[in-house]
Amino acid sequence: MRTLFVSFSLFSLLAFLVVLSLSFGAVSLSISEILSGFTPDSEFYFTIHEYRFPRAVLAVLVGAMMALSGALVQGVIRNPLASPDVLGVSQGAGLAAVVLMTLFPSVSIFWLPWAALAGGISAALLLWALCGAHSSAIKLAITGVAMAALYSSAVDFLMLTRPLEINNALLWLTGSLWGRGWDQVFMILPWLVLLPLAFWLAKRMNLISLGDEVATSLGVSIPVTRLSALAIAVGLTASCVAICGPIGFLGLIAPHLARRLVGGRHQILLPCSMVVGMVILLLADLLARTINPPIELPAGIMTAIIGAPYFLWLLLKTR
Amino acid sequence: MLNVFKNLPYLGQYFILSFLLCLFAWLSLFSWSIVPITGQQALTALLHPDKNIIAHSIVLDLRLPRVLVAAVVGACLAVAGAIMQGLTRNPLASPSVLGVNAGAALGMATVSTIAPWFGLFGTSVAAIIGGAITWSLVMLLGAAWRGGNEHGRLVLAGVAISALCAALTKAMIILHEDQAAGVLTWLAGSVADARWSHWQQLWPMALVGLLGAFLMSPTLNLLNLGEDNARSLGVKLGWARVICSLLVLLLVGAALSVAGSIAFIGLLVPHMAKSLVGQDHRKVLPIAAIMGALLVMIADVVSRSIIYPIETPAGAILALIGAPFFIYMVRARTS
Repeated sequence: MRTLFVSFSLFSLLAFLVVLSLSFGAVSLSISEILSGFTPDSEFYFTIHEYRFPRAVLAVLVGAMMALSGALVQGVIRNPLASPDVLGVSQGAGLAAVVLMTLFPSVSIFWLPWAALAGGISAALLLWALCGAHSSAIKLAITGVAMAALYSSAVDFLMLTRPLEINNALLWLTGSLWGRGWDQVFMILPWLVLLPLAFWLAKRMNLISLGDEVATSLGVSIPVTRLSALAIAVGLTASCVAICGPIGFLGLIAPHLARRLVGGRHQILLPCSMVVGMVILLLADLLARTINPPIELPAGIMTAIIGAPYFLWLLLKTR
Repeated sequence: MLNVFKNLPYLGQYFILSFLLCLFAWLSLFSWSIVPITGQQALTALLHPDKNIIAHSIVLDLRLPRVLVAAVVGACLAVAGAIMQGLTRNPLASPSVLGVNAGAALGMATVSTIAPWFGLFGTSVAAIIGGAITWSLVMLLGAAWRGGNEHGRLVLAGVAISALCAALTKAMIILHEDQAAGVLTWLAGSVADARWSHWQQLWPMALVGLLGAFLMSPTLNLLNLGEDNARSLGVKLGWARVICSLLVLLLVGAALSVAGSIAFIGLLVPHMAKSLVGQDHRKVLPIAAIMGALLVMIADVVSRSIIYPIETPAGAILALIGAPFFIYMVRARTS
């Protein structure tokens, strides 16, 4: 019952935010104008169909994927402070993408997600090599944060020495949905293949949360599950980062909020985190666009303003 | 080589480092200039300045304040880091890691976007206030005074506060400038624009901060023995903490308001100094000051040379050197 109620309210909130993000911006549009914007001969066709709608779609997709990857990571390493951005995976993927763009500008943009994936995987492996399997929550988080600092200072350095167009630069530093359109939506679509794989793992992740010994005795192969969940998480993160940069704290807070709403059963937790992630990113992007139009703030700034205090609160609770 | 240097008496190390400092200062006066300047010209410009020679006025008006500011900023940040490490007994403590840098930058951004008429002095006061707020927040949230094995928590609290302050700072700058062009150079510290006016603003605060730090060094030594021992040896813990925190804020505020946020000096240099002269703060602080000055000065020279006609902010280079060291420290010192 509770789950039904939660999902109903989340979906109505999501629909409401989608409508809001279609209607607000540099020009405000009414509902009928939005609807007419989907037909090619309308005067709002460009604003709605080419600009606001793909952006909202992208916010929904990226929010869902980032949140899911956070939920996977938190589920398998049982660490409330973990998420792709705290562990440095987002920044590693971002660094690889920036390296590709600045040092090899002639390479097709098609390779961007693959470069990001390579970067994300190397960042994850490096962290694993540094920390090993049995480090405490705080040590893993702090090593990840230190790695993230290294990657982002390398991105800073590349940006400063080879100036890109500045909105692009901000995108790669903080994450933003600025100037993203249908091309990016089609770039990210193939990666949705990872979603069913993640749901397939949900049952085993429930068992893992009972503890390694119990899970093993119930027939779950811990290393296989852990490795595949982490690999899916890295893939999801890398594809998002390749599209709109390392949006911070999203993968950290969305699963936590979802867990408070629907509890820890992964079959429900995973989809719920995705919807929460969509809501957060849509909201952040909407605020970032409308706070002082036509100036745009990067959405990553907004998620950091919401997410950093939440992280502090989690830190206080973690023993 | 390094071992020979380590085994030298304290004064010997002191003089060698000072000599290196002078050498690099001289190098930095004439190297990588668009108008060619020779080393000899740089020296004569200092001793017998002649305003009609272009090289002399470049050295005196552009290069000399830059060198001085770089040196003093480095010294301030290094000493601030050493005090913070002594105070919290946390080897990872430093202005950038614990969020004092980010808070000070947020303070400066607030004043320079909302109330620009306060001028240079106003920005340093704002930097100090902003740093003070984040410093107290981090200390409260990270349970800093407990010491012992809470190293990691303190650092994570600092990182989260830094992320929050950085986001607010970026938002403020973008909203104010109508465009994002200034953000990057603003956030990466650099001494490239240092002029005599900056020097005038910097030296009184730096002097007070550094002298205060040297006076507090015996107390820091006692704090190192643990709270109970320090108290029984007559240290008033509350006062010692307040005074040390104020010194840190003064030093960081002074450095940041002229050079922007330069990261990792405060983390890196105190450890280098301690590996040379041991744990005695009376020896560590002066050596850390000189080494910090030297490091920022070298980073400044490198920042001019790395892509020759364009200047890269020195802060970006220091961050690239400092971040791996941060990782190393995390691995070595957290359980």
